[in-house]
Amino acid sequence: MIAALNGAFDDISKAMKLHRVWVALAHEDIGDQHRRTTLGPLWLLVNYIAFVGTFVFVFQPAGKDAAGYAAYVAIGLLVWFYLMEVMSMSVALFQREESFIEGTTLPLFVYVMRLALQSVIRAGYAIVGCVVILLFSGSHLGMPWLWSLAGLFLILFTTPPLITVFAFLGAFFPDSQFIVGNLLRVGMFFTPVFWMNKGQDPVQKYAYEWNPFTYFLEIVRLPIINGEFPAHAFIVTIIAALATWAIALLLLGRYRKQVVFLI
Amino acid sequence: MVSIKLDNVSLVYKLHDKLTLSAPDRRVGGPGGRIEGSGRKQFVQALDGVSFELKAGDRLGLVGPNGAGKTTLLKVLYGIYEPSGGNVAIEGKVDALFNINIGFRREATGRRNIVLRGLISGWTEAEIEEKMNDIIAFSELGDFIDLPFKAYSQGMAARLAFSVATALDPEILLMDEWIGAGDASFQEKAKRRMDELAEKAGIIVLASHSEALIQSVCTKKMTLTGGRIKSLTPEPVKQTETDA
Repeated sequence: MIAALNGAFDDISKAMKLHRVWVALAHEDIGDQHRRTTLGPLWLLVNYIAFVGTFVFVFQPAGKDAAGYAAYVAIGLLVWFYLMEVMSMSVALFQREESFIEGTTLPLFVYVMRLALQSVIRAGYAIVGCVVILLFSGSHLGMPWLWSLAGLFLILFTTPPLITVFAFLGAFFPDSQFIVGNLLRVGMFFTPVFWMNKGQDPVQKYAYEWNPFTYFLEIVRLPIINGEFPAHAFIVTIIAALATWAIALLLLGRYRKQVVFLI
Repeated sequence: MVSIKLDNVSLVYKLHDKLTLSAPDRRVGGPGGRIEGSGRKQFVQALDGVSFELKAGDRLGLVGPNGAGKTTLLKVLYGIYEPSGGNVAIEGKVDALFNINIGFRREATGRRNIVLRGLISGWTEAEIEEKMNDIIAFSELGDFIDLPFKAYSQGMAARLAFSVATALDPEILLMDEWIGAGDASFQEKAKRRMDELAEKAGIIVLASHSEALIQSVCTKKMTLTGGRIKSLTPEPVKQTETDA
């Protein structure tokens, strides 16, 4: 186990030294995805605003909750879309990078960071839209926003191990691409992205409390919506982050040399 | 001192029965070799007891039928495959040219691709900038260097790949069938550069089915079959001075 961890840290430190590679490749990826389009990556912002607008239009509750709902959905969708994209792109990560993995000696963590950075850049466009929606919906810039920012950093910290775990899952179990894709689509309805937990519906209550993604959403959302520090959500998220790191390090250390034979 | 030393290297990998709901896939991916075992316990013996030593200035030609283990051996030397047994000791900076398209992005220009390839090989931006004009000049791509890579012919891609791979004076250069593309004048030029590299006390390992190429470039020849060394001619096949 110690040897596995050493191997993992070796892979990660080599990848960090090669940061220019994944930074350059991630930028190329973003450029390639929007090549020959007029709006370019601004489409990411348009898509996000269209989604939030649709949800607000269809699901906005009447009465006093109405104003806060736009902010609620804006943050919910920002975090959920980010996590969903990270997980669904990760499952086929090593298969997509096959020609690089079989032709270069780049550490695997380079591909992990490449996807992480790419997802962060894409989410950056949505963040701009999110902040605009928040300001328009009456949220005031204040100290609690710093807690939300801390929440975002915690999500960033969890991104590389999350990608690693899902990438190994996809390499060893190719069917997981479809399983994960389906679960994520269904997962949106079991995660409080656009519905609020009032504690009355037992299914909602269960889905709220036992879904780890709830807490990833709430560490960003509650400080801005309620102006409070969500201690419980932070604790759950930190534990989840550390557990994901532990699994990712073991997988990376133990199986990184096997991946080339699997893809 | 540049050197390669392999001691009883073997490479065995299991044919993983992937956990899948579909019918089992019996196609064999990855490197060639002998398939052994049956049922759920199939494995491929891609290399078996390979031992040899190369010193500065050696140019080894790898020959053998398809699936003999030539590419596998190159990938073990490069460090992509971890051997399952034996020892690999390599001294020197290794660069490899396996597949022309590896590490090139179709949408990016040739110039941008040089930067990306350089970064992947661990060069600094300053080193890339310094070598850029040499690489472009050697590739003879002219104005095409600022067009996207997808507009290149196979020969042009091969020129670019070879120019980049040899630009930073690798001490050990591994090549797999790269020379199929590229016209006669470029092949001649490429051979001269390989001569220079070997004269600077580098090592070249070249896998090819072209007997003529091996004859003209290499000083040693190793024949592989089924992952084992069938023969290794230690005496120079041909002296470098007499190269045409």
